[in-house]
Amino acid sequence: MRTEIRVGGLGGQGVILCGMIIGKAAAIHDGKHATLIQAFGPEARGSAASAQVTLADEPIGYPYVRRPDVLVVMSPDAYTTFVPTLKEGGLLLYESELVVPGNGLPAGAKAYGVPATRLAEELGRRLVMNIVMVGFFTATTKLVSYEAARKAVLDSVPRGTEELNLKAFEAGYSFGIKLLGEEGNRVA
Amino acid sequence: MWPEGSSRVSLASGQEVVLRPLVEADAEALHRFFVALPEEDRLFLEDDVTQRAFVERLLAEKQAGQAFTLVAEQRGEIVGYGALYRPKYGWSTHVGRVRLVVARAWQRRGLGSALLRELVRKAQSLALDKLVAEVVEDQEGALRAFQRLGFQKEAVLSDHVRDITGKKRDLVILANDTSHIWEHMEALVADFEPSAG
Repeated sequence: MRTEIRVGGLGGQGVILCGMIIGKAAAIHDGKHATLIQAFGPEARGSAASAQVTLADEPIGYPYVRRPDVLVVMSPDAYTTFVPTLKEGGLLLYESELVVPGNGLPAGAKAYGVPATRLAEELGRRLVMNIVMVGFFTATTKLVSYEAARKAVLDSVPRGTEELNLKAFEAGYSFGIKLLGEEGNRVA
Repeated sequence: MWPEGSSRVSLASGQEVVLRPLVEADAEALHRFFVALPEEDRLFLEDDVTQRAFVERLLAEKQAGQAFTLVAEQRGEIVGYGALYRPKYGWSTHVGRVRLVVARAWQRRGLGSALLRELVRKAQSLALDKLVAEVVEDQEGALRAFQRLGFQKEAVLSDHVRDITGKKRDLVILANDTSHIWEHMEALVADFEPSAG
């Protein structure tokens, strides 16, 4: 099985690191295959940043993401740019205090929002909003295991910042689990 | 609001102590610890730690979330104490203040450094940017321990302290800028450079 993911946002939000941690979790700790491509092309101009991540059970021959199954956006521009590429029935994860999903969501797509910046600020550092997003991604997509994602966060962040980054991961993860629980209750 | 958990540390002497957060059941043992401090050590402490009310105050501060208090324990006895204070309001909520006391028999064995290392780690997890400590000029051992862990002299207040014998002494303010660890993280998330795509 192959899953394509696009992470988009502004430079300085840690978009590439977010994509890298997801890839590391899958490839190093979950035993899958993963590729990461940082944005080259018109969407990389200005302050935009994006990462393309592909996860698969088999070796990946073509690493480019054209129609993502999962789109993670942290800025309105990233939403506008990338939402037309989201697959039908795909999943949109967005920073809910920066992005307002409007028209353009493809048929059958689901959208889950998380106030990642606010959660990071409540922990004391806005800088870790991308790690909140990794936690939220882990909880809502189940594409990487909780343990693998947690280890990948630990592997990827500078020494001395581990504990706060783990708190950020947990904050995003808990928010996602709670959101899914509420949705499950509504459906029931 | 404070992180919990305990850890076992081996000191240079080969002895092991447990560092853990203070709990209410420690009141008696902590009081014994403070009362047992020799006068020459208590000389340089800001409070009269031999008063039972001092321990009650520490417990109340912990309960109110004003301080993270750590004790070092060996065989049921408290042999060291460290606290990290963080203002909840005001213009210095990014600055933590640390206090340390180590039993005389356990000094010069690395216990103070172990306690301090744990407090610095907690401070980092609480996103504090700076730590300060106040040491009386004559506390040379304490000064060295703080400096070994990155604290630097930032100010000296002349005759600021009157010790329990009435003698005035200089107070040294030491500071440790812990925000630099986040510079690496800032570089990692700065994904706007053309070379980073």
